[in-house]
Amino acid sequence: MSKLRHFLEQSWLLIVSAFFFGVLIAIANAAWSPRIERNKVEKLNRLMRGLVAGAADFKPAGELEVKSPKGQKMVSSLYRAVSETNMPVGWVFTCEGSGFQDKIELVVATDKDFRKFAGYAVLSSNETPNFGDKIKQSYFRSQFNGAPVETLELLKTGDDKIIDGKIVAITGATVSSQAVVDIINNAAGQIRNQVQEKGWLRNAR
Amino acid sequence: MDTVTALLVAFISIVLIKNLVLTKFLGICPYLGVSGRIDMAFGMGLAVTFVITLAGTLTWMIDHWILIRYGLEVTRYVCFILVIAGAVQLVEMYVRKFFPSLYESFGIFLPLITTNCAILGLCLFISLWAVSSLLEAVVLSFGGGIGFTMAICIMAGIRENLNLADVPKSLRGAPITLITAGLLTLAFMGFAGMVK
Amino acid sequence: MPGKTKTTSGIMKETFTAGLWRENPVFRLLLGMCPTLAVTAAVKPALTMGYSVIFVLLCSNIVVSLMRNLLKPHLRILMFALTIATFVTICDLFLKAFQQRMSETLGPYVPLIIVNCIIICRAEACASKNTLFVSIIDALGMGIGFTLALCVLAGVREFLATGAVFEIPVLALKESGGWFVPWAAMGMPVGAFITLGLLLALVNSVTGKSS
Repeated sequence: MSKLRHFLEQSWLLIVSAFFFGVLIAIANAAWSPRIERNKVEKLNRLMRGLVAGAADFKPAGELEVKSPKGQKMVSSLYRAVSETNMPVGWVFTCEGSGFQDKIELVVATDKDFRKFAGYAVLSSNETPNFGDKIKQSYFRSQFNGAPVETLELLKTGDDKIIDGKIVAITGATVSSQAVVDIINNAAGQIRNQVQEKGWLRNAR
Repeated sequence: MDTVTALLVAFISIVLIKNLVLTKFLGICPYLGVSGRIDMAFGMGLAVTFVITLAGTLTWMIDHWILIRYGLEVTRYVCFILVIAGAVQLVEMYVRKFFPSLYESFGIFLPLITTNCAILGLCLFISLWAVSSLLEAVVLSFGGGIGFTMAICIMAGIRENLNLADVPKSLRGAPITLITAGLLTLAFMGFAGMVK
Repeated sequence: MPGKTKTTSGIMKETFTAGLWRENPVFRLLLGMCPTLAVTAAVKPALTMGYSVIFVLLCSNIVVSLMRNLLKPHLRILMFALTIATFVTICDLFLKAFQQRMSETLGPYVPLIIVNCIIICRAEACASKNTLFVSIIDALGMGIGFTLALCVLAGVREFLATGAVFEIPVLALKESGGWFVPWAAMGMPVGAFITLGLLLALVNSVTGKSS
């Protein structure tokens, strides 16, 4: 009994403060976590709205499993973009993969038949500032608007104004550019197959 | 064999490409302070590797088996730091009692390691990267420690030579060490993009 | 020496200015290096980190100072760790809720405030041995000194890396028709180490001391 007493004598402050701090954290969490959730959702919505013109709402169409080229399993969120009159206007999905420095997360949009890309936006990335970071800039991203949903190819030089399956890399940021192309190729192919299997493309007019 | 390759790749990437000291800015304080001589640097590196492997494994287990399962992620930082502080104290007591000769070589560094950003930093990165298997967490923690040891030993080697050079007065000590570290970082940038 | 009365305002001034210059945590005491190098790529994240550290330092110093007579010697570090971790968690939640972009930029370096040597050292060296008032002043001095040091470093780096400071363009970039070619290295770890090294050398030569 005296051992327990000794233990309590030494650590009562620790136990009491742990309890008190626990309450403090719980209060802060309860107060702010709804807002934190809202922030995350709003960011995604904002990016999606910027990609698909004419979309009034994005209906979640499920969490699909996408395999990386190495066989790693990743989860992509798929959304169906619909207009105000509830007509399908496109598809949006999230995808990720490794870039030059760390993970790159993208939000990609296609037209309603999943035949052409409508563009992409960067959800999160940690690429080299002024080099790989340029994957966020519109002059690189605009090459994807209207590009066909098939295996995109990266070129070191070329005319970036021609919209086709060939993407011109950012000068000095070949690895980051290649990463974006690879991530989009990998995810788009698998997601299109899964969407086709579910018969969702047949219903789209 | 795929798992083994994946683990090997993870190990190499954290030692060379995502080196804790040179790319993630973790563990700078001991890096600057203890890298005066190679034997001290190596001792510090060993101590850090030992603690970081233990801490990384324990925190992964707590994170996945308790915190995420019961939705208590908000207490993550508190749990991690208590586990690390507790683990360091236990390790120190254990090493002092059962391996006194080992304690001679790196035991004195152990109390310093609690506030070493590298340990907590690695545990947080492991949870940030959503590492899904215990084995990968162990390999990454061990790799992190090895990367730290490597960086600190290289730095110690360079500093031992710098002691013989004629460094201007205001640059002596921390400034020249920092500049050297910067150049080391530049050199290591060559490894980036090695692993896809 | 004839009696030098330590008035309250005297102590206040001395403690406060110590944190700002004489014992500046970054430039003189060489504490808190990790966040200094990591978040100073631009001024905004540096400022966010600065006021986060001031908040945690203040709360932790207050709590430790209030508890100072109850602390048991071997559990001291655990108590400090628990206190600091709690306030950092609260700060992190706050940033995620109200400053989402900065929270993402700072990333894992916000929870790393827990192991920021400055906070633990001030709890150990000052708050656990001094009254509440002195602890508060010390926290403010050290915190503001830290923030200033961070902003100076970040200012230099952001200016050279992007030609802008606090995201306000200052120099005309070459790609927009100007003359300045940004120094990308400044935004990377290399630039962090080298700039800090040179700034430390500058401080050493100005104060005539070596670190």
